[in-house]
Amino acid sequence: MTSTLTRTTTGFTQEAFDDFLATRNEPAWLTELRRNDWAHFLEYPMPSSRDEEWARTDIRPLKLNQFSLPMAPHSETYLSGAESGIDGKGTDVSGSPCLPQTVLAQGVDLGGRTSSLDGYPCASELSKQWAEQGVLFGSLDALVTEHGQRLRPYLERPVVDPTYDKFAALASACWCGGTLLYVPKGVRVEQPFHALSAMSAGPDAKGTDAKGTDAKGTDARGTDANGIDLSRTLVILEEGAEATLLSETASTRETGAGLHCGSTELLIGKGAMLRYVNLQNWNMDAWHFAHQRAVVRQQGTLQWTIGALGSRLAKVNQRVALIEPDAEAQVNGVMFTQGRQHLCYNTHQHHQAPSCHSDLLYKTALQDHSRTVWRGMIQVDPPAQRTNAYQRNDNLMLSRTARSDSIPGLEIEADDVRCTHGSTSGRVDNSQVFYAMSRGYTRQEAIRMIVAGFFQQVFDRISIESVRNALGTAIGQRVREL
Amino acid sequence: MSAYIPAAQESEIPDPGTLLVEVAERLIVLIHAAGHFYALDDVCTHDGGPLSDGPVAAEQGTLACPRHGAQFDLKTGAAKTMPATKATTCHEVKLENGTLFVRLNAE
Repeated sequence: MTSTLTRTTTGFTQEAFDDFLATRNEPAWLTELRRNDWAHFLEYPMPSSRDEEWARTDIRPLKLNQFSLPMAPHSETYLSGAESGIDGKGTDVSGSPCLPQTVLAQGVDLGGRTSSLDGYPCASELSKQWAEQGVLFGSLDALVTEHGQRLRPYLERPVVDPTYDKFAALASACWCGGTLLYVPKGVRVEQPFHALSAMSAGPDAKGTDAKGTDAKGTDARGTDANGIDLSRTLVILEEGAEATLLSETASTRETGAGLHCGSTELLIGKGAMLRYVNLQNWNMDAWHFAHQRAVVRQQGTLQWTIGALGSRLAKVNQRVALIEPDAEAQVNGVMFTQGRQHLCYNTHQHHQAPSCHSDLLYKTALQDHSRTVWRGMIQVDPPAQRTNAYQRNDNLMLSRTARSDSIPGLEIEADDVRCTHGSTSGRVDNSQVFYAMSRGYTRQEAIRMIVAGFFQQVFDRISIESVRNALGTAIGQRVREL
Repeated sequence: MSAYIPAAQESEIPDPGTLLVEVAERLIVLIHAAGHFYALDDVCTHDGGPLSDGPVAAEQGTLACPRHGAQFDLKTGAAKTMPATKATTCHEVKLENGTLFVRLNAE
């Protein structure tokens, strides 16, 4: 697809929401759900530093009225090649490709793939082999229209609480596009699925306005809209099913503002196994707000890997609930920040049933003036005896001006549990650099090697080779000489 | 040395008062106190949180962090009281024809 999306009304106003609903071809029950959540969005205040959860994440520079809801692309709203800078053959003659390059699927034999731009689907493919076994995969938008009654219970009882805060309400009211993966009972899919959520980038504000807050210009494609992505990911694995989903985000240009406000919901049935990889790779002008939650049933297994490399500011709530006995979750986080990035990840491991196991490891490297905040919580309910839970966050400081806040926490209401946590922060050891240089490495090679070694512990836990390679390469390219 | 960049209008900041502005991708708090203008990084060096909602004490020439009360010198950014121990970055300000210009200093 080589379209440019049109937006009619700037800001998240009632008028814009009504326009947005008018473009949707959705069942009445879904429209009603959206209206309820929209009321919450209007009612809730913007989070402020007075809220404990936001005390270390300052979003005052975010001006929501600089963004707008995307309106569905249909033939009348497509710009011609000449107007959009796109030559109609999938190549953008302005120099920026229609969709950014993906990194997670390189060299991988996929069972299906889907992509979207600003929340609207570009293309979806599903292997015939899996389609015949009842697997659904593709754009959530399209599949809700086709399989509305089957998906209705999941949308009416969302895994992510839409009343949690203003961003959760916005994501629930205005979700647009996104990904659905549904694997029926007993189907084990060996090939990974791949999903790309791309976001267009607004005009480059740098150098156009001293305050940098209200800069308006015109980008190479002739549009003046900032990017917007309100995608929602829903994964449903029924009893005994198995699947792998590689999900990544990227901007169409390296600069230019964008806003992502989305949700991820993972439902892992009894004895099911999900490997889910989520790489956040927006450009450095994007705002990223996400609510993510997984629910794991009896003897279900989740391996969830997060890669966080992009965005100007990210605030992510990642929650895992183990709701039936013997459920298991492994959570891996790889973060690398630079410039003035600010990434805030709040993780929550919720043990609600006996004999469950959760293991979380977040590794972060920071350079320049960047900052990360990790706040982790292990919550164990009274029935969750024989819980085994662990959480750990390691931070490697590559500059003296970077800052990392690491706040692990435990809330335990059962008395027969093993719950431990840990956090470390430190700089690159100069004696290690000296040793490597004495063996013929340059200083930069030595530092890259030390950084790679720092992340190796978490890479060893990631069972998908393409993901290890993609994250390793991306981080290696970012490391500068200290 | 960086150039002076227009940041705000004089009329936008009461005396005493503060205004948060974004200058070259940095959040800066402009302070108006006893007829003078000052500019500090909007960062409390104690906890890394914002300073701009804190009270200005014009007589003492300080801005206090709204969370734990650490006070910073308006002229130099120096930490005057606990729990902050390091200075926050101070920037140069000039007023021309009602417009406030800021020249950023390195952190």
